[in-house]
Amino acid sequence: MERRLQQLFFALSLVALALILAAAWQANAPSWKTYQKNFLQLEAQGEPNAVAKAAVLATPPQIHQTLLPGLQRVDRCTTCHLGVDDPTMKNAPEPFRYHAGLGPHISSRFGCTICHGGQGLATEKDAAHGNVQFWQTPLLARDYIRASCGRCHKEGDVPDVPELAEGRHLFETQGCRGCHKLNGVGGSIGPDLTEEGASHRSPEWLEGHFLAPNAVSAGSAMPNFHFTKEQARDLTYYMLSLTSEEMGTYFSSMRSIPGPAYGRQLFVEKNCVSCHAIGGVGAKSGPDLLGVTKRHSMEWLDEQLVNPELVYPGSAMPEYDLETNARKALVAFLAIATPDDLKSILSGKPRSLSPEEISIEAGKQDFSRFGCVGCHGTELQGGVANPNAQGGEVPSLLHVSDDYTKDEVIAIIRNGRVPPVDNPAGPPPPLYMPSWKHVLSDEDINRIADYLWSKQQLKKESW
Amino acid sequence: MNLIREIWQSIVRRDPLSTDKGKSELVFLNVWLHVHPAKVKKENLKFTHSFYLGFITFFLFLILLTTGIALMCYYRPYPPQAYQDMKDLQFVVFMGPFLRNMHRWAAHGMVVCVFLHMCRVFYTGSYKKPRQFNWVVGILLLLLTLGLSFTGYLLPWDQLAYWAITVGTNIGSYAPFIGGQLREVLLGGHTVGEAALLRFYVLHVAVLPSLIILLTIVHFWRVRKDGGLSRPVWKLKPEMTESLVTIGAPDEMVPLNVASASKDKTYGLMEVVTGKPIFETVTPEEEADTVFSYPYAFVREAVVLMATVTTIMTMSLFLNAPLEELANPAKTPNPAKAPWYFLGLQELVSHSALLGGVVAPALMVLALIAIPYIDRNPSRRPADRKLILWLFAFFVVANLVLIVVGTFFRGPGWALVPPWVHVVSGAE
Repeated sequence: MERRLQQLFFALSLVALALILAAAWQANAPSWKTYQKNFLQLEAQGEPNAVAKAAVLATPPQIHQTLLPGLQRVDRCTTCHLGVDDPTMKNAPEPFRYHAGLGPHISSRFGCTICHGGQGLATEKDAAHGNVQFWQTPLLARDYIRASCGRCHKEGDVPDVPELAEGRHLFETQGCRGCHKLNGVGGSIGPDLTEEGASHRSPEWLEGHFLAPNAVSAGSAMPNFHFTKEQARDLTYYMLSLTSEEMGTYFSSMRSIPGPAYGRQLFVEKNCVSCHAIGGVGAKSGPDLLGVTKRHSMEWLDEQLVNPELVYPGSAMPEYDLETNARKALVAFLAIATPDDLKSILSGKPRSLSPEEISIEAGKQDFSRFGCVGCHGTELQGGVANPNAQGGEVPSLLHVSDDYTKDEVIAIIRNGRVPPVDNPAGPPPPLYMPSWKHVLSDEDINRIADYLWSKQQLKKESW
Repeated sequence: MNLIREIWQSIVRRDPLSTDKGKSELVFLNVWLHVHPAKVKKENLKFTHSFYLGFITFFLFLILLTTGIALMCYYRPYPPQAYQDMKDLQFVVFMGPFLRNMHRWAAHGMVVCVFLHMCRVFYTGSYKKPRQFNWVVGILLLLLTLGLSFTGYLLPWDQLAYWAITVGTNIGSYAPFIGGQLREVLLGGHTVGEAALLRFYVLHVAVLPSLIILLTIVHFWRVRKDGGLSRPVWKLKPEMTESLVTIGAPDEMVPLNVASASKDKTYGLMEVVTGKPIFETVTPEEEADTVFSYPYAFVREAVVLMATVTTIMTMSLFLNAPLEELANPAKTPNPAKAPWYFLGLQELVSHSALLGGVVAPALMVLALIAIPYIDRNPSRRPADRKLILWLFAFFVVANLVLIVVGTFFRGPGWALVPPWVHVVSGAE
């Protein structure tokens, strides 16, 4: 008995030793070492003589990593993808091939995962490519990589990626915000999209969802917007670019290229011409903007665009909720804007607006910006399917004044409303009117009502 | 040669191990070994008497201590870095996954073994006089073990950790009056965040280990002072005695001088005092049933140690500790589950927050602590203690059932879903 116990003790000690050795062996034979060995052999082929060959082959294996504190990531992709910045590896087999066409986005400065997705910290193929459980962002398929440009270039046009600007435009004009929050603004019927680009959703899923929401997500309340294939692709690009990642100052400054062209576009979109003139050309209700960048500092202009009332108490200028770089772009445009620019802009807008019309215009902006158009339509026509609601669809707002007073409509916007149902026993209608009082100011809501009533009048006149 | 012998002698200072004096001096001249008695009761060495569960728990703790200190070299207790350090352990630290796996599995193992140890002690009635208070110390050690496991659970800072701790601390906050404040003090805020991670880290690597070491010392000391492991007081059946006698019998490799030893036995006394000792005393007949700790107890403990180590190592080689996505306070998994040993509680909480989250666990702990003072039945024979053994078995089974239901049978929205049904959660 005693002897056997002693033997058992020694046997178990040997087993423990063997287990430690097995663990060490396991730790010492990662797949990246094999890749490095293969790469060295590939490199050695190009060496002229045996000495140089031996020197290359003698390179010790090591982990290569790009530390990117500004992007909050560490990318170890180059541990296996060893030829990424070596042009002589242009025709090498993967994973050693040279990455052409990076332009300024060199891997030592930007790493890999910010564009490609995947798990930068990992050193095993499946884990690194993110094709494992519990990793949100697997490698993006080739067709969708360019969507990542929008992670840094948040605003304006990204050269070669028109999909992003188009997707953003669709998002802002089709009323997506009526149901979805983005950066804190929007409804709560659908999921918050602020982090959509960092969720586990695949591009294919997103694209299918835009084409037919119910096909990929059964029972989805999202109406079918009948997007074209291209529009679905554009929106998918935009979704993939949405992350709220904290980035260092270097990359934040890269977030857009706020050029005057984007500024001009905003100037048109936001209807600045309805109040302002440049060099005497345009409306007179606001100040003339010729040389405004010489009269005021950048900070002053920026502040004016953020909160006009703070700079000029009682200012009639609405708040436009522009992002930092959008404001920069506008100022950049103002610095070079000429009366001729305005003439060309005005060619489609013949007259200046009265204060009532300004309020209606601001209401229209809000109606679009906060996503009312998503359900009620860009022309107030309604018609989005809403099963089991009375009439089976979201009501048109063109005749709202026949049934409600303005104050009643304001109350509905403020407090929200659950639509009356067709069949009380059936499931509740997926869409409902959310309460907007915590999102919109009373002034905004009044303006929206003004806008609605302006449409009513037009309708009645045309009757 | 003489010098070497002299140096060796100056270190060990005992007679050769071939003599009885040497064997006992090995124990009581050695600071680490002298928590053992020089001689132990034969029947207490039998594996089926204690299953060595206390030893296994202690050895798991030693594994946790060593791997834990090694892990501290790679860990920064603040939010995004903590998770990145887990990834580094997984992908670039030499034998990092093995190290983390060992720590993880030993931690779960310790929770299991400390509980089984408690069950064994209960079954053999070993909490009875004079060991009542050591039972209480043991319950405190159980709570500290749970505390260590719970605080360690947060440190990887992944979704699993984040939401388990959120749920776990929410259960605590149901306590009336102090629950909310308690949670706030523990978390350093209203939600699990940077402050919580730092506090849990401090608790995990400094406060709780110190406490558990201190109490372990007390626990061991009292086992020793109470006469070692409790032996069955009921009469042994003759055939059992037979098999016990074979341990250390003369034909085994180490000769045992039982017969004539008593004449030249010597005793060292610190003081002679009047009155009876409070501890179990050994009669000369009982002493005949004892063997020297060296080698009989030590070799068994060494075997258990190596068995524990190899089991944990084997598990660590083949089973990876879980690591989910980076903690995201904005994204609640459905269902969010507490660590498995608190899932019984969570299950109770899902029926009633106050009853399940506060009253039941408080009563459970109080009842456990009070057991040796409530159970006045002096007999340790299982046959004399049927009622209390059934009650305890019910307590154990109820706990297990609740944990199993909470772990495997609860799906999104805490709905009853059997594990073989795959649920797709969250239609959008």
